[in-house]
Amino acid sequence: MEATFIAALAGLTSIGAYYFGARVLRLSSVSLAAAIGKMLESVGIVLIFLAVNLTVAVLIVLIARSVTGLFVSAYVTDDAVWLGLSLIQGLAFQWWRESAAEPSPVRPSRD
Amino acid sequence: MFTTGRRGDRVCRLIGLIGVVAFLVAAFSPLADRVNLWLSVPPDLVRADAIVVLGGSVSRSGVLSLESQRRTSRGIELYQRGLAPLLVFLGGSSEGGPNEADVRAEQARLHRIPGSAILTDARGNTTREEALRVKALLHPRGARSVLLVTNAGHLARARPLFERAGFEVHAAPSDTFGEADAPESRLSLMRGLLKESLGWLYYRIVGYI
Repeated sequence: MEATFIAALAGLTSIGAYYFGARVLRLSSVSLAAAIGKMLESVGIVLIFLAVNLTVAVLIVLIARSVTGLFVSAYVTDDAVWLGLSLIQGLAFQWWRESAAEPSPVRPSRD
Repeated sequence: MFTTGRRGDRVCRLIGLIGVVAFLVAAFSPLADRVNLWLSVPPDLVRADAIVVLGGSVSRSGVLSLESQRRTSRGIELYQRGLAPLLVFLGGSSEGGPNEADVRAEQARLHRIPGSAILTDARGNTTREEALRVKALLHPRGARSVLLVTNAGHLARARPLFERAGFEVHAAPSDTFGEADAPESRLSLMRGLLKESLGWLYYRIVGYI
């Protein structure tokens, strides 16, 4: 019931956003497909950062255990904060790529 | 991997698509429940030589985590049902706080379980270490069969470790199967299953089980 309500509500707001974009902001429906592609690209980069962060964390834990002989818990990787940090890293990296791909603005000459 | 060319973009999009589909399926379908049902070990409540309650976690102020409390209550209940003459509590301390095993033993005494029936060990940090510590504790007493108390997902990894330590293991899961119907609880369940599966895989790779 709860899942159906949440899914239905998200569906309704998505349809509302589409009509707002198409009618009020006069955005092209064709560019929506490109936008979804960019969204998937961003999610992909966030997931890559998440995988790299967690893999490095586990490796550090295992190395620390074998080098120091002390117990370091691998449960340090079991924290939702990794997802939040990876989101920040991934979005920053994605926008860095995007801005690097855009042509630099031409500055007016002072002469 | 992070090139600005089309190939890098396509790889990222594919990973993103897999991630979005996996998220939606995990949150809005009963997949997590099905996987949980498939992976969890069913209870096998028979008479044994000892009840072994695996460690969870305890706060620095001595408060057991919800999972630790659930396991402790299950262990006490099994003892009171007369399924074993010994009750073993495991679990260390959190940054100088009291030992989890001692906190659990105190709870058991409050439930009128005699101190002579309670054994504790706080030195095992991992499930594998706990299996070895319990072996050192129980084998000299002639105890060879145990009722192993932990959550159902963890039992799949814990049981072979205790079998390898020389015990006849009977599963006594601390949680019962219940369908998660809210998206957040489904995601939480899926995360737990993923964590346990990775733990099981690691133990297989290094040869612990």
